[in-house]
Amino acid sequence: MVTCAPPPSEASENREERARAPPTPPRDYKSHRAPRSRTLRQGKMADTAAAAGAGGSGTRSGSKQSTNPADNYHLARRRTLQVVVSSLLTEAGFESAEKASVETLTEMLQSYISEIGRSAKSYCEHTARTQPTLSDIVVTLVEMGFNVDTLPAYAKRSQRMVITAPPVTNQPVTPKALTAGQNRPHPPHIPSHFPEFPDPHTYIKTPTYREPVSDYQVLREKAASQRRDVERALTRFMAKTGETQSLFKDDVSTFPLIAARPFTIPYLTALLPSELEMQQMEETDSSEQDEQTDTENLALHISTDDSGAEKENASVLQQAPSLPGSRNGEENVIDNPYLRPVKKPKIRRKKSLS
Amino acid sequence: MPPTGLEPTRMNRKKGDKGFESPRPYKLTHQVVCINNINFQRKSVVGFVELTIFPTVTNLNRIKLNSKQCRIYRVRVNDLEAAFIYNDPTLEVCHNESKQRNLNYFSNAYAAAVSAVDPDAGNGELCIKVPSELWKHVDELKVLKIHINFSLDQPKGGLHFVVPSIEGSMAERGAHVFSCGYQNSTRFWFPCVDSYSELCTWKLEFTVDAAMVAVSNGDLVETVYTHDMRKKTFHYMLTIPTAASNISLAIGPFEILVDPYMHEVTHFCLPQLLPLLKHTTSYLHEVFEFYEEILTCRYPYSCFKTVFIDEAYVEVAAYASMSIFSTNLLHSAMIIDETPLTRRCLAQSLAQQFFGCFISRMSWSDEWVLKGISGYIYGLWMKKTFGVNEYRHWIKEELDRIVAYELKTGGVLLHPIFGGGKEKDNPASHLHFSIKHPHTLSWEYYTMFQCKAHLVMRLIENRISMEFMLQVFNKLLSLASTASSQKFQSHMWSQMLVSTSGFLKSISNVSGKDIQPLIKQWVDQSGVVKFYGSFAFNRKRNVLELEIKQDYTSPGTQKYVGPLKVTVQELDGSFNHTLQIEENSLKHDIPCHSKSRRNKKKKIPLMNGEEVDMDLSAMDADSPLLWIRIDPDMSVLRKVEFEQADFMWQYQLRYERDVVAQQESILALEKFPTPASRLALTDILEQEQCFYRVRMSACFCLAKIANSMVSTWTGPPAMKSLFTRMFCCKTCPNIVKTNNFMSFQSYFLQKTMPVAMALLRDVHNLCPKEVLTFILDLIKYNDNRKNKFSDNYYRAEMIDALANSVTPAVSVNNEVRTLDNLNPDVRLILEEITRFLNMEKLLPSYRHTITVSCLRAIRVLQKNGHVPSDPALFKSYAEYGHFVDIRIAALEAVVDYTKVDRSYEELQWLLNMIQTDPVPYVRHKILNMLTKNPPFTKNMESPLCNEALVDQLWKLMNSGTSHDWRLRCGAVDLYFTLFGLSRPSCLPLPELGLVLNLKEKKAVLNPTIIPEAIAGTQETTSNPGSHAQLVAFQNPFSNSQDEEEIDMDTVHDSQAFISHHLNMLERPSTPGLSKYRPTTSRSLTSQHSSGCDGTPSTKPQWSMELARKGTGKEQAPLEMSMHPVAAAPLSVFAKESASSKHSEHHHHHHHEHKKKKKKHKHKHKHKHKHDSKDKDKEPFAFSSPASGRSVRSPSLSD
Repeated sequence: MVTCAPPPSEASENREERARAPPTPPRDYKSHRAPRSRTLRQGKMADTAAAAGAGGSGTRSGSKQSTNPADNYHLARRRTLQVVVSSLLTEAGFESAEKASVETLTEMLQSYISEIGRSAKSYCEHTARTQPTLSDIVVTLVEMGFNVDTLPAYAKRSQRMVITAPPVTNQPVTPKALTAGQNRPHPPHIPSHFPEFPDPHTYIKTPTYREPVSDYQVLREKAASQRRDVERALTRFMAKTGETQSLFKDDVSTFPLIAARPFTIPYLTALLPSELEMQQMEETDSSEQDEQTDTENLALHISTDDSGAEKENASVLQQAPSLPGSRNGEENVIDNPYLRPVKKPKIRRKKSLS
Repeated sequence: MPPTGLEPTRMNRKKGDKGFESPRPYKLTHQVVCINNINFQRKSVVGFVELTIFPTVTNLNRIKLNSKQCRIYRVRVNDLEAAFIYNDPTLEVCHNESKQRNLNYFSNAYAAAVSAVDPDAGNGELCIKVPSELWKHVDELKVLKIHINFSLDQPKGGLHFVVPSIEGSMAERGAHVFSCGYQNSTRFWFPCVDSYSELCTWKLEFTVDAAMVAVSNGDLVETVYTHDMRKKTFHYMLTIPTAASNISLAIGPFEILVDPYMHEVTHFCLPQLLPLLKHTTSYLHEVFEFYEEILTCRYPYSCFKTVFIDEAYVEVAAYASMSIFSTNLLHSAMIIDETPLTRRCLAQSLAQQFFGCFISRMSWSDEWVLKGISGYIYGLWMKKTFGVNEYRHWIKEELDRIVAYELKTGGVLLHPIFGGGKEKDNPASHLHFSIKHPHTLSWEYYTMFQCKAHLVMRLIENRISMEFMLQVFNKLLSLASTASSQKFQSHMWSQMLVSTSGFLKSISNVSGKDIQPLIKQWVDQSGVVKFYGSFAFNRKRNVLELEIKQDYTSPGTQKYVGPLKVTVQELDGSFNHTLQIEENSLKHDIPCHSKSRRNKKKKIPLMNGEEVDMDLSAMDADSPLLWIRIDPDMSVLRKVEFEQADFMWQYQLRYERDVVAQQESILALEKFPTPASRLALTDILEQEQCFYRVRMSACFCLAKIANSMVSTWTGPPAMKSLFTRMFCCKTCPNIVKTNNFMSFQSYFLQKTMPVAMALLRDVHNLCPKEVLTFILDLIKYNDNRKNKFSDNYYRAEMIDALANSVTPAVSVNNEVRTLDNLNPDVRLILEEITRFLNMEKLLPSYRHTITVSCLRAIRVLQKNGHVPSDPALFKSYAEYGHFVDIRIAALEAVVDYTKVDRSYEELQWLLNMIQTDPVPYVRHKILNMLTKNPPFTKNMESPLCNEALVDQLWKLMNSGTSHDWRLRCGAVDLYFTLFGLSRPSCLPLPELGLVLNLKEKKAVLNPTIIPEAIAGTQETTSNPGSHAQLVAFQNPFSNSQDEEEIDMDTVHDSQAFISHHLNMLERPSTPGLSKYRPTTSRSLTSQHSSGCDGTPSTKPQWSMELARKGTGKEQAPLEMSMHPVAAAPLSVFAKESASSKHSEHHHHHHHEHKKKKKKHKHKHKHKHKHDSKDKDKEPFAFSSPASGRSVRSPSLSD
């Protein structure tokens, strides 16, 4: 049972929040706040607890000492649920139950209730409301496959137990996000039940003192000189690290030329220049995909329009080497001697050759 | 299935109106080519051929075939071993180390050598003796099957291997091989009748690695694995009769693309290039459609293949049902500039499929018809595809080219007729090469020849209308396709050959028009017309007095008599007048329609019916003439220099709608640097409707005008504000817009304008600072990120612009160029170049256009003295392994360096590269560039011009380039440029300048060093070296005993030697004992020839009979026929002084003397010969050298 300690992520979140918190937090906040050093330790403990939990031997150590209001709240509710489960078990005729099974049932119950809540909230928000109504709950239950009609009867059953309300614990205050400035009040035409405006910094333009560069000329200028700088740096680096040629005998560094190096297959670099590859990649990313999907379909039907014809062929070509024997019966396959399968040698053949 | 060739005799015997008479005593009907092993590592090929022939004469004893550089193992005729001789006189043209080294001598000898093996004259390098067992068979004219086993090892021509040296299997490395060559060069890779006129059907088989594809002509019947499954054999069948010269092959690990529009068309490219191939060929089906439509004829072959290969010999080579292209024509959709060029290449090759491959030529002199027709229909395609403007522009360009070439080097003759013409009547006497054979032609001449051919075809169209023209083509094609389907009647196949006379006959049949004068003028005669025109307006008579003069005395010109169209634009409209150009009349009166009526404001009608407002204030108040054009339709091959006032040119530029007229006026306006010209040009530049090429040339004209007007020029530099307005941002005029090349017209203009602007010069003759900054800004702000197209050509042109802005450095007492004294402007330029060049290493551009421009720019900086002149950089870029465009650019710089710095070392480096570079195109190109930009010329003193260089070049053209016709002709061109026709001046006087003058009975020192004299004397001096070399080459199994018997030292002896071997051949051959017969310098010439006096001896003398039959009815030339050795010098004799003739007599006597000696030796072998030989000693042709016929058919003698 690890619920005693906040999950590590939550703890770290808290830590972060506190770190970011202004030196003087609002008053109402202060009361719930543990001293800085404590929280840190708490975080550490949570870490170790989580680690221990993962190891399999759940420990409750530290749960009693836990003074975190949020933890207390969760613990109290959990305890209530456990009571509920226990009483239901009793009601069902169990005399005793293993702790683990009670725990599991509690977990299941909690998930179920949470799901009802989550779903009901979605339904209510879907209809532009902030508070769920009964009908939201009903729809939710229906959606979850629960027979709502049986509910009243169940509630009124005779052997039911009444459980005392859990001790009132303070609803944990969700740590407030950093507020920057005053939230704007609603203008008169917006009803007050509508949510508040978000923090001003999320929508209010921050005045800056320097105009961002939007002048076309400057942008072009900048782009050009940046590119040039990069190119020069790159080529100079290449020139420095490799062999160079020079136009001047006395100076080899001012205008270093990367030495000419012959290629083994010169036409490939010339006809498929890497320069264009880059340009093409940007452009034809999507179109290539289109073609791919096209070709899959096209093998199966004859395309009559001109643009499709080329693709059709491409597909046939792609298939040709892999499916040399697939010509049987398919009238759309091109009959070209170079696509035909290579024949196996015959004895007769050899005679005519020699 | 080989056709049986029913009665081919009839065809050859009958001289019907087909006009084709085979030069061979047999008809080839079918040929099998089987290459069963190709080794890429060793670059070798092993295979066999089998020719099915039908003798057309009885007594066919010898069969001549073409074969070069093949090693022939075995020849069998109908399964009987046959003896054969392999002799190639073109391997080494001049055997005697002639000291005079003049080109006259060489060219004659070369022409003689080529014709000695010319298949069109029935000759060949390979001479096979029909085994005597088959003589009877032959007499019945029954089929002969000649089976030849051959191999090729490291071929230097004909087949080109490309084997990248990287890891992996040959297929992974992209190794490939393809056939190539100039004109009929198939003999380089398999034995055949290498003539365009000998058609037969084909079976082609190639066994290649399983990962490779063999592409060849005709239909791929099947592909079969070999037994080990590691190789496969491609079986091709070509049932349409095709000449061996149109047979081709390409083998490599090709990627295959079936044309999506026409499934019978297949494209091949090297690995990884498939996406480019898809895009590049996506247009081809439209070309097909176009040609089929205009010719109303289906594409003749059942399939078509395009293969794109590396290290191409030429960009486009068309063969039967297949074309081989350079892989560098491939491009993606992002490339603008290459697209039209590649499409043109595709269209060109397809046009040649119809005319050139399917229809082939009867003889070399009919070549022009095919080149003309294919060029003409290609032009029609261009008109349809790129529009009339582009077409007319192209025609003008071609016309300008041919005119410039002919005026520079003399005429180009389309239809050379070599009747009984004497040497002086030689139509090509102004040239340093013979035009009798395609293989002796200078490459440049041949390109001009093609250019002229299609222009003349257009002239014919002008005369007979396009409709008739296309009917003629259709007729030729349908005749040919009828003939081609006659599988068993090979005599019909000659209808697939086109001849000049046949073509002209078709024209007259179809159109009923007589075009003989036109043909006489442009086809049978060389030269172009040069008009000078000027005019005066006679106000009283309201008449335009036009004066048209001609220059027909300068070389390359001819006189024109006939109609000439003149178009006069008057205020009232445009009027065409057809003038008759006659012998003596220069002046022509043309009545004008308009009176001066400019006060009435009225629109002026133009030629195309459009009416425009014009500002007429610039006009001459008295004259209604706006502009005049002579021959506006370019219906004469001419150059026109016409004088009219500047305002007339300006009107012509602004308002004439014909792009040719606009271009002419732009050219003319260069001479009128006035504000009015400036305004006219600027207006044209701004006019979007105007043809973009006109606008581009207007840029350069404007730059020239601005430079001429530099002192009075006002406002910003020319074109700057225009460029700013068109291509720069509205808000910040110094920044160019981000690139958007969607409009190609403005793209081309945007590219060109800065290049032209950089040519501007200020009063100090420097490029204005403003312009340089402007260009640098263009480079700086160039932004292509949003562009659909690549900007590599654009950036390359920006570098060109930078180079254009460079002016000579101010040199202070020849200081050494260092960084410290670098001009600040140049520093900026250099920085850009450095950056561009370095970036290319990291992010290369398409075809490395930027590197190419950078290299050129660096050379410009060197030349102008800003940067130390040093070829080291270029030499590293010129190495094998760089992209070919880069190599050519670098080599061009080295060539230029060689010229400017007169560096012997670099010249040697270049020459070395010509000999050793693996890429034939590069070797050819170096020679070409050296010829165009020679380090020195014939009349120039240069330290480079020395004996060693002469020797080197001589060797290069004499024997070093025997494997590539184009290269050899290139070497001849260079030799001509450097040393001229006569003996190079740097050679010392030869010691052997003694001439034995028999008439005066004394020896004289020949002061002019007449080559013949040397030839005469030299023939007695021994030169064993060259022979030994040749023997070593040709005679791997030489029989030492035979050689001992024969004195190899002299030409006469070599003749005797050959005859000796011929005699040996006459002996019944022993199966299995095929012999490589060493033959010396020249073609097979025997004493039989000299013994042939036209009276056949009683016994069937096979060689004599053959000679008689081979030449047909022409007995007379046979008498003249002689050994090319003799022929070469003799042909020169004819031109030379009488004294040289005497040495010839001497020669002759000597010859006979030797012969007798030889005969004695072999008396027992051929006694029967002696009688005839003795008889005809007197009529023997050597005694009539002046007839000039000697060269004509030197080797018909056999």
